[in-house]
Amino acid sequence: MIEGTLIQAGDTVLLPERIGDLTGLDQFGLAGELLAAFLAAFIVGNLMLAMTGVAGPWAKRKITAAFTDRIAVNRLGPAGLLIIVADSVRLLSKENIIPENADRPAYDLAPIVVASSALLGFAVIPMGSGIHLADPEVGLVFVFAVAGIASLGLVMAGYSSANKYSMLGGLRAVAQNVAYEIPLVVTGMSVVIFTGSLQMSEIVAVQNQPLVDFGLFAIPAWFAIVNPFAFVLFLLANFAEVGRNPFDTPEAPTEIVAGYQTEYSSVYFVLIYLGEFLHIFLGGAIIATIFLGGPAGPGPEALGIVWFIIKIWGVFLLTQWMRSAVPRVRVDQLIEIGWKGLLVLSFANLILTAIIVGIIQ
Amino acid sequence: MSTELEPQTPEVTENDLEALIGDRALRRDDHLNAPGFVIRPDDVQDVLFDLRDEAGFDHLSCLTAQQYEDRYESIYHMKKYADPTQEVSVVVPTSVDNPVSQSAEPVFRTADWHEREAFDLVGIDYEGHPDPRRILLPETWQGHPLSKDYDQEQPQVVTLAEHANPIQPDHHDEESDTMFLNIGPHHPATHGVLHVKTVLDGETVVDIDPDIGYLHRCEEQMCQQGTYRHQIMPYPDRWDYVSAGLLNEWAYARAAEDLADIEVPEYAQVIRTMGAELCRIASHFLALGTFCLDVYGDFNAVFQYSFRDREVVQDILEDLTGQRLMFNYFRLGGVAWDLPEPRDEFIEKARDFLDELPAKISEYNDLVTGNEIFQVRCNDTGVLEPDLAKSYGCTGPVARASGIDYDLRRDDPYGYYENLDWDVITRQGCDNYARVLCRMEEVEESAKIIEQCLDLLEDWPEDDREIQANVPRTLKPDPDTEIYRAVEGAKGELGIYIRSDGTDKPARFKIRSPCFHNLSSLEEISEGDFIPDLIASLGSLDIVLGEVDR
Repeated sequence: MIEGTLIQAGDTVLLPERIGDLTGLDQFGLAGELLAAFLAAFIVGNLMLAMTGVAGPWAKRKITAAFTDRIAVNRLGPAGLLIIVADSVRLLSKENIIPENADRPAYDLAPIVVASSALLGFAVIPMGSGIHLADPEVGLVFVFAVAGIASLGLVMAGYSSANKYSMLGGLRAVAQNVAYEIPLVVTGMSVVIFTGSLQMSEIVAVQNQPLVDFGLFAIPAWFAIVNPFAFVLFLLANFAEVGRNPFDTPEAPTEIVAGYQTEYSSVYFVLIYLGEFLHIFLGGAIIATIFLGGPAGPGPEALGIVWFIIKIWGVFLLTQWMRSAVPRVRVDQLIEIGWKGLLVLSFANLILTAIIVGIIQ
Repeated sequence: MSTELEPQTPEVTENDLEALIGDRALRRDDHLNAPGFVIRPDDVQDVLFDLRDEAGFDHLSCLTAQQYEDRYESIYHMKKYADPTQEVSVVVPTSVDNPVSQSAEPVFRTADWHEREAFDLVGIDYEGHPDPRRILLPETWQGHPLSKDYDQEQPQVVTLAEHANPIQPDHHDEESDTMFLNIGPHHPATHGVLHVKTVLDGETVVDIDPDIGYLHRCEEQMCQQGTYRHQIMPYPDRWDYVSAGLLNEWAYARAAEDLADIEVPEYAQVIRTMGAELCRIASHFLALGTFCLDVYGDFNAVFQYSFRDREVVQDILEDLTGQRLMFNYFRLGGVAWDLPEPRDEFIEKARDFLDELPAKISEYNDLVTGNEIFQVRCNDTGVLEPDLAKSYGCTGPVARASGIDYDLRRDDPYGYYENLDWDVITRQGCDNYARVLCRMEEVEESAKIIEQCLDLLEDWPEDDREIQANVPRTLKPDPDTEIYRAVEGAKGELGIYIRSDGTDKPARFKIRSPCFHNLSSLEEISEGDFIPDLIASLGSLDIVLGEVDR
């Protein structure tokens, strides 16, 4: 077993340490550790960006097409995969039009904030196969906190674009995120009652104990199985958090054009778009980690990352399915569902879970 | 039992009308479809109020304005919702020097837009009109294109400096707390080029002002320049261009055939009826799909499903007419050609479609109308009360979803409809949901009609398949004959007014567009709702801007 030095948490070995050890960078003290950490972050960041790269231009089209009786991209490369290249060239080579009255630098910062806040979240997610950047004791809180920063980016985008549709979209985004982040966090906390820890590695470890053992196979204690009610609540709140049907009001393409991203073009548009997909994936990663046993799955442990990615894509698929089949709720109904429905249910879930766990223990 | 509950459909005879209007009638000016009374320009409201309240003419179907050598004339074509075969025309002449006539807006809300159009295109001023602006042409336009002294050869060049950008004003009132928002002319939800000037209080719609005319293509004038026999028929396809072509063609065919006294062979009527109902199904599928686009957002499955199903209808129509969109299939006195050979194959194809339809409808009911979120979104939004609907002259599914039992196919029979077994769908909901359901159920009724037509066509004796009556190559209806005739288009009552002057071209050709009326009610039904409801209401009215602007 390789001993880590800088970030030692529990008995897991984190990616920066492993890289430091493999490359020998850990012999160079703090500078070496920093470099190793950057390398690790680079790997994880690129993994996620590559996934969004596949999801945005290609997978999303293919999935939607499958839902709606169409074929979608099939001309460029095998199964149209090269559309990813074509789209990248197309989007990056477009003129970046910045509105005359845009409030800079807020206008320029917003896309970066939106995209980077989601990327930050992946830092504490244990993805299996040893890919885990950091494992602070407050991991779960950290991931909710950085994901919440995206709201700031959306407001900045909505306000600084000097466009009324953007403004409406930004306002809707704030109202929505405030209304749904509380149920999201509260439902997440009901998991913590089981684990007694906010640390991601701990949360995953607890879920890997068998719930029911049949000898040949065991049903693991994934929280989606232990507390399906919380799982459904979390999934719902997550739709609102990432702004997908039935809660895609901040963009609402037929109502307010494209909401906060109406004025963004070219690279900025790509960043916002990437940010959105990263947020969907981050939502999927959180769901996978706290409800679906993280990287757990059949087969050797080295396959962890594969299972993890499959789980993330499962959540992504679900958002696309909703997009194809479920109408959008109206903005007032959205707020009503959030404050009067999900919030109450999530607290009920929290209290019930606390009582039940208290009795069992 | 109570007489109040019964619709007031006592036949109003011409004598009754003469007695009612009395001295106010200067003389008679009868039209082919209706008795006409000429009144003074300052008696308009008086007479229209009496006709509406005393004689039950609660439907201002159309307003036609035109200029003669010696006078301007506004014709109010009035009908009854309970019995549209009872018609009366109120003719209001005004002098050429001072064309001022009293506005009928206090009597019928729909006169608002109609009088604006009459002012815009012909140049009659309506005294007491609440909003006397141009409606189709830009505010900067000089002259009135359908008036006699307008030089149509002279192009109107508007310099960039003079050019008023319609979306330039982006503030309503500097002081107020409300926000002014231009929705359109380019916006994902306007179903064409419609510009809705919206005043918002937060997300609530305080006031809207639809700005139309972006798709004005002078259809009326183009029809006035074509000969009755062949040159006009292609134009109707271009009014409501989303697959309602044959329904539109029938509107012209019916008016012109009645004007020139042409009998249409029964066999051709059956083909017409079948074709028209196919168009109605295609049109309603499109309405459902685009409405779902507004409620679901883009990337939704319903839109694609409805296009998939509409495609089958388009294929059948293509087999029948040789065209997918601009059919040009009707002829005065019949249709262009018989069913395609081999007949059996065509009939079988159409039957296959009808057989699959119930399963498709139930799929839509599962996916759309049965969805709780959809119901929450559409129930009690965009409420159009029946009285208001009548005042705005709403017809078609929009009126029928407000409980108005009005369908020209049954109430003013034409074609082969009266010999077939089908029902008029009405719903009492008055809201967006009712309008969607109404269209879905109408699709089923149309399918019934088509099925019966197919049976008839299949068994029709081969030596009796007359597709066109014998119509002279050049049609010259009697001079100074006027007629207003309407059919039930996909969106409602599509009417045509024609005045002949003895030549082979109409002297005045006026199109009464159902979308024009339905859209004018948007202001009333969306104020106080949220923006998403405004968009949904706009979608559920199912307007086609090509028909609104003509």
